[in-house]
Parts: sequence; C-alpha cells; structure tokens
Amino acid sequence: MIQVTEETRAGWCIVGVRGRLDAESADELENALHAAIWKHTKVAADFAAVDYISSAGLRAVIQAARAAEGRDVEFTICSLKAHVKKVFDMSGLHQILHVQGELPC
Amino acid sequence: MWHNQAIPYEADFSLNGNLSELERLAAEISRFCRENILDDEAEFQLNLALEELFVNTVRHGGCEGAENSVRIHLLAAPDGVEVEFADRGRPFDPTTVPPANIHAPLEERHTGGLGIHLVRGIMRDMHYRRAGDWNQTSMKRPAVVAPRNL
Repeated sequence: MIQVTEETRAGWCIVGVRGRLDAESADELENALHAAIWKHTKVAADFAAVDYISSAGLRAVIQAARAAEGRDVEFTICSLKAHVKKVFDMSGLHQILHVQGELPC
Repeated sequence: MWHNQAIPYEADFSLNGNLSELERLAAEISRFCRENILDDEAEFQLNLALEELFVNTVRHGGCEGAENSVRIHLLAAPDGVEVEFADRGRPFDPTTVPPANIHAPLEERHTGGLGIHLVRGIMRDMHYRRAGDWNQTSMKRPAVVAPRNL
C-alpha cells in the first residue's frame, strides 16, 4: 500500500511516495510517475517515506526513467532510506538513474 | 523447574496464489523477526527475498488462484535465518537462473530477472530440489553482525 502526492516547487514536480513498494503497489507508482512525466519537464520522486522496495518497485522506476528519457524530461529519485538504497545498489541502478541524497529544491 | 532458555519462535505458514497475500507475508516476517529480536535489515531482506520467490510462483509458476500454493518455514539460528520455501508451481530451480546483467545501460535493461538476482544477493547456501509436485528451495540469510549475548 502506498500514498502518492504531487506538488510543484521551483519548476520541479515533486512526487512524494509513502509506504511499501511491492508487487501489489508498484503499478500505482508507475502510473503516478508517468502522469508527472507527461505533464512536467522536471520530475523528482521523493522516496524519504518509502520503507520497502522489491524488484517490482525497481521496475516501475526503470520504466519511468525510460519514459522520461524518451520525452527529454529530467528525472531524479531522492532521499532513499538506507535499506532501500541498498536494493538500488545491488541492482546496479545507482549507475544508470539519477539518485540523489536530497530533493533538488 | 523454570529455566530462562527462550523457546525459539519458528514461523511456518502457507500462502495462497494471490498478490494480496503479500500483506500477510510481511506480517508473518515481522512477527518472526520481533520474536527472535532480529534487526530491521534482516526483516527487510527476508521480506524482499520471500516476496520475489512468492511473486514468481504467482506470475510465472502457474500458482495464481491456487490455495496454499506456497509454504514457508523460518528458523533463527545463531549464524542466520534458515529459510525453506516450497511451492506447487511449475518446476523452477532459482539456483540455475543466469545472472542478471546489472551493468546494462537503461535502454537495455530487462525488467525481468532482477528478482532472482536480489534473492541470490541476499541468501547463501541455496539448494533446490523437486519433490513430487513441489519445488523446495532451502537457503540462509546470514547474520551480518554477530548478535551480542550469544
């Protein structure tokens, strides 16, 4: 179960995600990120309140990053908790995605 | 005669072939970790590895909609958590899946294969056997830091 919020700040669309990104909730994340990428030129996913992620959640992020690249949208994932960041690292995603410690604004 | 030796709490439960069972899986793991005083990272990693194996049986193993299609047994040992995962899906040996290419660029990323890659990153001593209609995979999630007072 996740809760997703969206707000615009200093030219960035901030997609706030809260909860567990598992195989049941990953589609919701993917839809939310795609919607943001469709409307904005700079999108930041705020993962500060994401407690858990599995490969299904990673897949949603990869698909969103691809969509962003295709539309020339700047896309970044911010504020990962330590355990979540470790899953990104284990998958090599930190090398191909823009993962940063803090929100851009 | 009273003694202070705690009886180890083992988890032993079945899941139906439905993704809504992920919530129950998380609750069972949470209870197991609480009873055995395992840290957040152990809970996170057990959850991750077991979700990946379970979701595979539902999405690819033909377990979707089947009752009690997965059985999980967890036992805390001093050097880690011993995990037995059994499912009634199609024969599938997770130890022989080719490694995922985690260095591929974004456009070449296959979105499949990542789940088993994560399981193998977390678990050690993985053994598989097919027994009748069941896949049986045993493995261990090693204790990274030796707990005190043991």
